[in-house]
Amino acid sequence: MGEYKVSEEKAREIEEKIKRSKEVIREAFQKFKPSECAITWTGGKDSTTNLWLIRQVCIEDNIDLPHVITIDEGDAFPEITDFLIKISKKWNIDLKWLCNFDVLRACQSKLGGTVKVKDLNERNRAELKRIGFEEESFTFEAESYAGNHLMKTVVLNQFIEENNIKALFMAVRWDEHPARKNDKYFTEKEAGDLQPAHTRIAPILHFTERDIWDNTHLHNLPYCPLYEIGYRSLGVRSTTNPMQVGVPAWNQDLENTVERMGRRQDKEKAMERLRKLGYM
Amino acid sequence: MNSLRLKNVILLTVDTLRKDVLGCYNPESKLTPFIDSLQDRCIKFTNMQAIGPYTQASFPGILTSSYYFDWGRHKKCPPQRILISEVLKKGGITTAGIHSNPYISEFFGWNRGWDFFYDSMEEEVTDEVPYIKGDKINKKVDEWLSSHIKGKDYGRFFLWMHYMDVHEPYVPERRYVEMVDPSIKLSSNEMFNLFKNVILKRDVSDKEKVELLKKLYFAHVREIDEYVQDFFSILKRYDLLENSTVIITSDHGDEFGEHGGLSHDGKFYSELINVPFLIYNPGEDEGKVCDKLVSNIDIPPTILHIFGLEQFKGFKGHSLLPLENYPEKGCFGEAIDKRSAHEKETDKPTYYYQEEKLKIIYRESTDTWEMYDLRDDPRELNNIVNISTGAESMKQILKPRIGRWLKDK
Repeated sequence: MGEYKVSEEKAREIEEKIKRSKEVIREAFQKFKPSECAITWTGGKDSTTNLWLIRQVCIEDNIDLPHVITIDEGDAFPEITDFLIKISKKWNIDLKWLCNFDVLRACQSKLGGTVKVKDLNERNRAELKRIGFEEESFTFEAESYAGNHLMKTVVLNQFIEENNIKALFMAVRWDEHPARKNDKYFTEKEAGDLQPAHTRIAPILHFTERDIWDNTHLHNLPYCPLYEIGYRSLGVRSTTNPMQVGVPAWNQDLENTVERMGRRQDKEKAMERLRKLGYM
Repeated sequence: MNSLRLKNVILLTVDTLRKDVLGCYNPESKLTPFIDSLQDRCIKFTNMQAIGPYTQASFPGILTSSYYFDWGRHKKCPPQRILISEVLKKGGITTAGIHSNPYISEFFGWNRGWDFFYDSMEEEVTDEVPYIKGDKINKKVDEWLSSHIKGKDYGRFFLWMHYMDVHEPYVPERRYVEMVDPSIKLSSNEMFNLFKNVILKRDVSDKEKVELLKKLYFAHVREIDEYVQDFFSILKRYDLLENSTVIITSDHGDEFGEHGGLSHDGKFYSELINVPFLIYNPGEDEGKVCDKLVSNIDIPPTILHIFGLEQFKGFKGHSLLPLENYPEKGCFGEAIDKRSAHEKETDKPTYYYQEEKLKIIYRESTDTWEMYDLRDDPRELNNIVNISTGAESMKQILKPRIGRWLKDK
């Protein structure tokens, strides 16, 4: 990270924040066995920080590391895939790749390809029925409501059910966007139409985007090289763009610009709203 | 003209607002005392037709002066569409868009050209109120105005704001229900069940339920009137009432069984496309009533005219101002001919053309034509396409538009 500087005062502040995160993680391990927990890891800066913190606690307290999972939506940056493989080896993590291969098979893994519902397996067909999707086919792309449900929600739910997972560690932060500002460290998700019951734990809620980079620098954490060339927030390849080409994320104006501008995270939100307005 | 050129323009759109619920169009309606009180300072258009009967089909007219299928059948705003915000920004006008409708959100590509754009998609909403309410929209507007207007030298601005509160599900607050019909004692849950079991199913078999739903809709209209009033007091507070033009309209209306359906599907009857249109324009044509047939595709050119900017060649409409220069022309519109809440890929397009008081409609799915003479059949119940002598020439005007984006290829 070159000349990156963190003041002594800020470094102390980061240590306090780490302490708080570890308290949350330890509280989680009092409530749940490690084998009942899973850590979501996208390879992005937040989830890498989150994983690093949980791993630290496990080492310090001699606890087994929970499951570590990553969801492959079929449109990943090769840089992220490489990063995940490299760091898994380095940190000795048995990373579980979750992927709905049935959907990929149905469209020959081609982005923009057509997925015929009749070509899908029974579970995927049942899932489409469950969300009220009645068409005969859909396009395999980030915009696709059906594809998104099958590639993300279904694989996660399946993992939760099959492994009897009771808690998920997530890497959300309060400053990500205004809607998060009332989030809590522990959120119980009731069983619903679209998800099994589980608890979501957010150990790094209080970290800001700047804190993440300060901490990455202070503790020499690994990060995906895409951040060096201008990406601020990483999603799937076809909907993520760098914010300032050529300017490393940590040198951008983090305080006055919107981190997720380069991402189209609004897909599910827009679809959910349409559904509630009666359009889906 | 000079005084005109110094103005800001505010476009206030209300989703799903029928024309006949406004007292200034229908004296029997007592739902909108504040909006009605504005009419003496407005130009009131009585014959404004939306180019589409639902948001995705209508907003291309309102914000881009183009038709829904101009570049094919897209779910997202195609890059060829140029938004009024993009044109104004190039013209040195500050632009802000504040709303809560997913179909015109950033995700669907409607965030282009805005210096400030808020579509609320990151906010948490409930099933009963799946959008940000008008009071919060006003608050956002207030915040934006206060940040833009610092000192006297702020640049002229274009503000577009959009209220969602009359869109289904109709679950109005108690006090608005009281104002409409105190005898209605439904709980929020019961109101929401009407949405699920009657509106979503487009079930008009029980007339009493349809009437009840209409009253709940009215309660939301009553609510909207308060938000408009609050918004005008914000304008007054910033001293903007005399140097701003406020255009008030809706993207489409709503159906309560008039043509066998509910909500706003792919139909072109008046309850869906004949929308309210007021230009609050202090000092210019105050209190005038314009009965000319006009289209919401004319809104962007009108905005350019008020700013004194050159007309943009890509826009397909014509400025409504000055009133005397507006040419007599017909109105077109197009949409997907869906009959449910859910649009299927297999649903076919439908089109309309109106000239004076004659309207012709074509449905591709059944290859059928309908024609109505609105003078003696304002409710559009008597199809005269087989007996009208004018039908053939109207068909010839509409035919080239059918599937035209496929022919271009």
